[in-house]
Amino acid sequence: MMLARWLVALFALAAPIAQAQNAEIAATVTDERGKPVADAVVIAVPSDGNLRLPRAREEVVDQVDKEFLPKVQAVLVGTPVTFPNRDDVRHQVYSFSPAKRFELPLYAGVPQAVVFDKPGVVILGCNIHDWMVGYVYVSESPYFAKTNAEGKALLTDLPPRGYVVRMWHPQLGISEDATHKTVEATRARRAEVAWTVNLKPEVKIRRAPTGGQRGGY
Amino acid sequence: MGLLCAQAHAEWEIGASAGAFYDDNLTRAQNSVDKRAAGAATANVIGTSFIPLTGSDAVTFTLYGRGELFERYSGLTNLVAGGTAGYRHKFGLGYAAPWVSLTLGGSFDDYREDLRTSTRLDVRAETGKRFTEQFDMSAGVYYERRYDNHGESIVPGISGHVFDLAGQGAYVRAGYAATDALYFDAKAGVRRGDVESTSQRSFQIFIISTAIANDPVWGDPNLYAYRLDGTTWSGALTASYALSDQSSFDAEYRYDVTRAGQGLEYMANRIVLTFIHRF
Repeated sequence: MMLARWLVALFALAAPIAQAQNAEIAATVTDERGKPVADAVVIAVPSDGNLRLPRAREEVVDQVDKEFLPKVQAVLVGTPVTFPNRDDVRHQVYSFSPAKRFELPLYAGVPQAVVFDKPGVVILGCNIHDWMVGYVYVSESPYFAKTNAEGKALLTDLPPRGYVVRMWHPQLGISEDATHKTVEATRARRAEVAWTVNLKPEVKIRRAPTGGQRGGY
Repeated sequence: MGLLCAQAHAEWEIGASAGAFYDDNLTRAQNSVDKRAAGAATANVIGTSFIPLTGSDAVTFTLYGRGELFERYSGLTNLVAGGTAGYRHKFGLGYAAPWVSLTLGGSFDDYREDLRTSTRLDVRAETGKRFTEQFDMSAGVYYERRYDNHGESIVPGISGHVFDLAGQGAYVRAGYAATDALYFDAKAGVRRGDVESTSQRSFQIFIISTAIANDPVWGDPNLYAYRLDGTTWSGALTASYALSDQSSFDAEYRYDVTRAGQGLEYMANRIVLTFIHRF
């Protein structure tokens, strides 16, 4: 009986603390024609620079049907990422990006995880299948989310304070810095932020067959 | 992780295409009176096995069967069965790494009219580089040999094997993806060696011929097939529209001009439409 009282008291004390840390930012990204933009990464960085990084959990970028899945993966800096090959052919995943240069020699199955220890955009490729392209966005802040098919992302569990919020997308026509917005996140209401962006056409190596690529005369 | 294959193996790919072409000078003749133009329906099935040995080295084997169906000159209707074996090396990581390849090919070409039935062999060395996601180039050299023993001699002392041909050539090509779906490919090449031309009896062509035979395909007893030594310059433009990652529709225009001795020169234009699907 005594123990139960203590638990109730503890819960009563803890609830306001949890609530106090429960600010949210709802982000919406659309293109110039008003169509929702999926796979945009929205990052919130506390204006006071006070970042307390949690322990990063392992994330996964699969290779399925000779494509990276998901095409855009957002992770916290320091996150180990594995690249399981779920195809019945071998892949050789690599990146030349300054934020993480690596190469996973020709493999099947699950290779050792790669730790993404520097913030920035890491462009993935496969040396066997040149059309394969994927992105790992490495965030310096634990507060980030990726937009869904409706172009919406929800950043949750934010300590109430001011944030500089920015957005990145593989086809973004402007620099990531140009997307900065200042948002005051409080527990009283959900803060909202929206971008209308100009997306560059996706430039991808053609995967479709063509009769003209091979042979001579 | 149970879904993961314990051991990856060669990539197998089956492709098929169907289409049609029109050629304005099938006889490869100089004079308009000797030229025969016609179209044909085509079909092709190809199986490819791609085996990466390392991240930079791979071997590729293909087996294919194809056919051309001519309505007007049915003797040209043919079925071809063949295969290739190739090795490719990429100098480094990434799509922009240059590559070289060596490919050996062989086929048996069975024509309804036996004169053109033959066995072909070729060896090809290529090199290429992708400069951007949209633009790539390659160049190659090749030697090809066509073995024919069906042609019967009609002039004493001169072979009748007009399709017993050897030649070597070189080419360059460039590809540009204008959009996600639309891809252009341009090729230019030159070939030196034996060529075949069909025409009426002519002293000009007779004195430079290395083989002469009756050519019954055209239904004209005045037409003869001649083997000559010549140089062919070729150019081709292809526009390929991707319907999906597995299929595309190609339209190609090709131009050939051949020059042989004695001022002999013939030209041919060909338009090819092809639907390609990869399973």
